[in-house]
Amino acid sequence: MTTDSTARDARDAMPGPPAESPSAVPDAGLVIPTPAWARARRSLRLPAFWLLIVLLAVGGWQIGGLLRQEAAGYPLAAGLAAVLFVLYAVPFVAVVRSLDYFEREPPLLLVAALGWGALTATAVAVRGDSAVHDLLAKLVSPSFAASWGPAVAGPTVEELAKTLGVVVIVLVARAQINSVIDGVVYGACVGLGFQVVEDIGYALNAVALAGHGDSVKPVIGTFLLRGFLGGLWSHTLFSALAGSGIAYAALHHDRPSWKRWGAAIGALAGAWLFHFCWNSPLLADGFGYGGAGVLAALLIKGIPALLLVTLLVRRASRREAGYYLDHLAGDERVVTVRELAALGSGRTRAAARRYARGEGGRAGRRAVRRLQRAQALLALELSRGGRRAGRYRAAALAQRQVLESLGHPDAYAPDGASAADWSWLVGCLCAAVLAVGLALAIRALGGS
Amino acid sequence: MRSRLLRNALWSLAVLAVLSGLSLGLPALDNAIASARPVPAGVPYDVGAGVSLVPPAGAQVDVTRTAPGRDEGTALFLLGGVRFSVRAEPFTGGLDQATAQLREGITATRGYQVTGAEVPVRTAAGVPGRQGGYTSPGRQGRYTAFLAAGTAVDVTFAGGDLELHDSLEALEASVLSIRFGRP
Repeated sequence: MTTDSTARDARDAMPGPPAESPSAVPDAGLVIPTPAWARARRSLRLPAFWLLIVLLAVGGWQIGGLLRQEAAGYPLAAGLAAVLFVLYAVPFVAVVRSLDYFEREPPLLLVAALGWGALTATAVAVRGDSAVHDLLAKLVSPSFAASWGPAVAGPTVEELAKTLGVVVIVLVARAQINSVIDGVVYGACVGLGFQVVEDIGYALNAVALAGHGDSVKPVIGTFLLRGFLGGLWSHTLFSALAGSGIAYAALHHDRPSWKRWGAAIGALAGAWLFHFCWNSPLLADGFGYGGAGVLAALLIKGIPALLLVTLLVRRASRREAGYYLDHLAGDERVVTVRELAALGSGRTRAAARRYARGEGGRAGRRAVRRLQRAQALLALELSRGGRRAGRYRAAALAQRQVLESLGHPDAYAPDGASAADWSWLVGCLCAAVLAVGLALAIRALGGS
Repeated sequence: MRSRLLRNALWSLAVLAVLSGLSLGLPALDNAIASARPVPAGVPYDVGAGVSLVPPAGAQVDVTRTAPGRDEGTALFLLGGVRFSVRAEPFTGGLDQATAQLREGITATRGYQVTGAEVPVRTAAGVPGRQGGYTSPGRQGRYTAFLAAGTAVDVTFAGGDLELHDSLEALEASVLSIRFGRP
């Protein structure tokens, strides 16, 4: 199977999927796989690539200078802030990458997206936010600027600057935008980069305001407050939403322009609105119930964005999975009907691995993980034309043999895993308990 | 291929234009509008946190450095070349601590030095405070701290010798006009 036609012929020759397979495979939405001819070096010829390089360099110079100046007086606090917030970004990156199971984004593009958020967008925001705040003070009143300035300036300048990062990624590597999920991934990376640098800045400001010299206590307080109580529904989520609109517009050339522009502008407006609500002074007094009320207000402001993006990701990733798995269906030796159902989402993939561990120990879990990866790569390869499909098919068959030897030949997820579950409710309860614990910790550190 | 490159270049220019608008255009627009606004003579000005004072006659307020709030607030008045800053915020310590914090804040800036001893002062309404002097390159200044009902008020003013000499009386009168508590 080295050419498009042989790959298709091979698939055509496979026995047809059983009658129940359509329900096992989610509906396929618009997914455009990266063509086999796509090469990274082609981007070097594009003006957008050089624009990206120049803007990253200029942003890095400005933000580097700013942070170096702030950190000069507080080297210990600055070092701790940098370490804490960079480590904080690691699980975010892992979660964001896991969204894109079938066609993972090139690491260099993810680094570029992180860099845009951390350097370019923050450099723009430093100047733009301050100007909008001052304009509000001059044109409306100092009182309005003091209370509503962050709610107006933050979303207006920052969301636009971050979203342009996704636009530049599309311009540089259009072929890598395969589905709406990719827009979510690049948007989330831009937002995460922004969030990390902004939080380091906030931590250093807190150290300076505390007036106790090079102290680490304000850094830890800022880390808990902005990293956890505020960070779970902050820039990463807002930009993920805006990025999904850009990806939709870039992919759906079959739709009328007004729909594509509408989707991009609508997603950006949604990010703006969530950011506006988050920064607004509304509910800042916590309904008059002190710390508990403020915590409740944070949840009320943050959870709608988290829910919307979760639903969007869930729907888009099911569509993407459906598209790729549709190419895979048919060969029971490579993938069974029940395995197709398990491959459709991260939750059912994980459930299949857990079940395999119960049936075949750690070796069973490892074999299922490798089988799933080989199946995903095979599906991706077939969708592109299948030049290397033979290699992944062989890898899948090898893992099938391992599973057969362990007495667990079918890497499926048990029924309970695919039925509607209450894990989201458990997750929300855990988040609420975590939030209360963090609020108490912040209070103990002297925060309010 | 050429049309693709052209389209890419046009989109790149559009991105650059929007970013320039945000990072250069907005500050340029901001700079084009004056930030100083006249304040009515003899009328108390609300600084925030329930603190007010009567600004010196002829003073202007810098609206970009003024942020009144319910629990804290700041105001910056400009009287010719003299900068007159007032900040009110919750404070749990005593007057000596509030004064020490203000003094440390001033001397933390390179080139700023406290001069002479601090003296006790009292607002027209009878709130006690402490006042001292400081110098910065080319400028002389005074700082005063007041504390009442859990709210500390830090006041500083500084200017060139001549300007400060001419307006010192009006500035001191304004400092002593500080009132605590919402009407």
